[in-house]
Amino acid sequence: MEEIGKVSNPVWKFFASVKLTIVFLVLLAIFSVAGTMIPQKEGAMEFVQRLNPTTFNLMDFFGLFDLYHAGWFRFLIAMLVLNLVVCSLERFPSAWKRVKARPSVERTKPFEELPDTLLISTERGYQEALGNCLNLFKKRFSAFRSEETEYGTFFLAEKGRFSPLGVYIVHLSVLVILIGALAGSFFGFEGFVKIPEGETVDSIMVRGGNQSLSPGFEIRCDKFTVEFYENGSPKEYKSEVTFLSGGKEIEKRDILVNHPATFKGITFYQSTYEKVAGKELRIKLRKGLDEDLETIDAEIGKKMELPGKEGFFQILDVRHMGTVPAALVSVEIQGAEPTRFWIFEDFEHIKSRLPAQMINSPKFDPAAFKPYTFLLLGVQERYATGLQANQDPGVPVVWAGFILIILGFIVTFFTSHQTIRMFVENKGKKTVIRVTGSASRNRPALDRDIQRLAEDIRSLFAA
Amino acid sequence: MTSSAIISYLTFVYFLAFVFYLVMMVMGRRLPGTLATYTLLGSFAAQTAAIILRWQESYALGMGRAPFSNLYESLIFFAWTLVLLYLIVEWRTKNKSAGAFVTPLIFLALAYASFSPNISSKIMPLIPALKSNWLITHVITCFLGYAAFALSFGFSLMYLFKGNDSANNTASFLRLIPARGILDELNYQMVVIGFLMLTLGIITGSVWAHSAWGSYWSWDPKETWSLITWLVYAAVIHSRLVRGWKGRKIIILCIVGFACVLFTYFGVNYLAGLHSYATS
Repeated sequence: MEEIGKVSNPVWKFFASVKLTIVFLVLLAIFSVAGTMIPQKEGAMEFVQRLNPTTFNLMDFFGLFDLYHAGWFRFLIAMLVLNLVVCSLERFPSAWKRVKARPSVERTKPFEELPDTLLISTERGYQEALGNCLNLFKKRFSAFRSEETEYGTFFLAEKGRFSPLGVYIVHLSVLVILIGALAGSFFGFEGFVKIPEGETVDSIMVRGGNQSLSPGFEIRCDKFTVEFYENGSPKEYKSEVTFLSGGKEIEKRDILVNHPATFKGITFYQSTYEKVAGKELRIKLRKGLDEDLETIDAEIGKKMELPGKEGFFQILDVRHMGTVPAALVSVEIQGAEPTRFWIFEDFEHIKSRLPAQMINSPKFDPAAFKPYTFLLLGVQERYATGLQANQDPGVPVVWAGFILIILGFIVTFFTSHQTIRMFVENKGKKTVIRVTGSASRNRPALDRDIQRLAEDIRSLFAA
Repeated sequence: MTSSAIISYLTFVYFLAFVFYLVMMVMGRRLPGTLATYTLLGSFAAQTAAIILRWQESYALGMGRAPFSNLYESLIFFAWTLVLLYLIVEWRTKNKSAGAFVTPLIFLALAYASFSPNISSKIMPLIPALKSNWLITHVITCFLGYAAFALSFGFSLMYLFKGNDSANNTASFLRLIPARGILDELNYQMVVIGFLMLTLGIITGSVWAHSAWGSYWSWDPKETWSLITWLVYAAVIHSRLVRGWKGRKIIILCIVGFACVLFTYFGVNYLAGLHSYATS
């Protein structure tokens, strides 16, 4: 009844075709090639600027700048999966039947027209010969069946009965891997944290969106080190981090490339690093443009009195602008709006590279608060580590799929359903022994085995 | 470094083996074939020694790492696996004709490694991403796969050369090549080995990438091209199930597959990606 339903449904028939599988496989391959030729995602920025708007719009419409996540690409994968499922369902029942089948032991047909090498004739009595053959067969095959008739005894041993199921294990594992990938994209995230040494963060920037999420704990970077080989190539990046919960230290871990750390289901990977400005800096105050007053070791947020006691100043921010260290100075006089301006290290030197309107702006004038000129002598430097922070509940599923696919391949390609038959025939004064067999794959290997079996039997009765 | 000197000499020995195989094919004599096999065995032993020596040299330089980490070393290893696999096939099939098709690939790989100005034979220390136990398994499985596909390519070429059996060519060159049916079967066996190894290579790479880059699949060009290769050979394996598809169509698909292998290996270096250390 089921069989009839399957055959008459044209959609089912369409998807049950192996030809269709090849079409889908080749199509996926071709489109994947396109994805490696067209710059993708972040890499597409520069490429896109060289396109004319019509081309860009067309390519963007088809998602060609993020091809592997485009709807139609996923649809193609879904079609291949559907094809795989239908093909497997269509063919599984007959494979299962073959696995369950018990070929009858008493069959004379397989023994017809055998080459002489597989046929042994002996003068020994039937019972003796039968006993010898039985012992040999027992030694060779752990499980076999035999059947006695009035003209002789039939033996049948089977190996690798489950071999036809290998293909279905492989197909199942492909499904498992894809389910794992799907689970990851629905329930997981890829994020990033940048933590300067000595600082603590409590949120993760999620990739592919501008929102951040709170993991429910904090991460502090205690120290970051980078080592180089003599030739200048990097040897090791290491972040020493502490995971905290509500300010309380829970666990200290070292994160290195190839050695991520997992805390409360989120895994942190060493990804990048950069040099950032620290909290401490050294500045020099001048009166007018060339009269040195004093050199001060300052710290972000610490208020200091101006030399002439006009009021206070403090450093609000320190950062690198491009590669140049810069500090935001705020001069605060009672009853007046604070005067805020940026000062740069080595200002005379970089001045020439700055645009005119920037130099003329009071925001970048180191002498914006008369009569003083502020000079930035140096900024303490420290590292900030960049950690990839991911959560992917699909990973164990994908790993299971990997193991399954390897198992499936071994069963499919390296096992074979072999049937080995022996027939000991009682011919009165003579006893004739015949061996033969069949295999679902690798017939030559079986032929060698059968040949060996025949030789062993022959040597039993030699002389 | 002694190891790279040995390798550059071996380039010529492999060429010699190729010449012997070719002479055997053209003249249809036994002796050049025997010479070819012994030359190949000898240079294989020498190459094995050179690889072990290189490993030791890296220890002497204080790096102590497996010699599988840049384009030079990968080419050497690719040639090595190809010789190994070919010798096994020659021994199993008792037929030497594939030698004439496979030895040029070995020679070319070594010549490219030793004499290309873009490839440095210097032993360099491992960058952090490569410091992993997965390096050895990943490289070995991938290159066994590549070698099997290279042999499949050799059998495919032989298939095309052979022409129809009925054409009964008298030239010894074609007479020594096995019948198309046998070539088809040998080719399929190589595709199966290659496909299994490539799958293992992708899996080990995937598990490694998960711990190094935080993601088991990131559509990096090399990853994608290995998937493309996988898809093509998956198509090859499935096409045997389509009635009437044995033979030419599959052979052409196998040649396309090997082109994908070559692109995965070399071409990808011209595209930006995470695997950039394999470039020089």
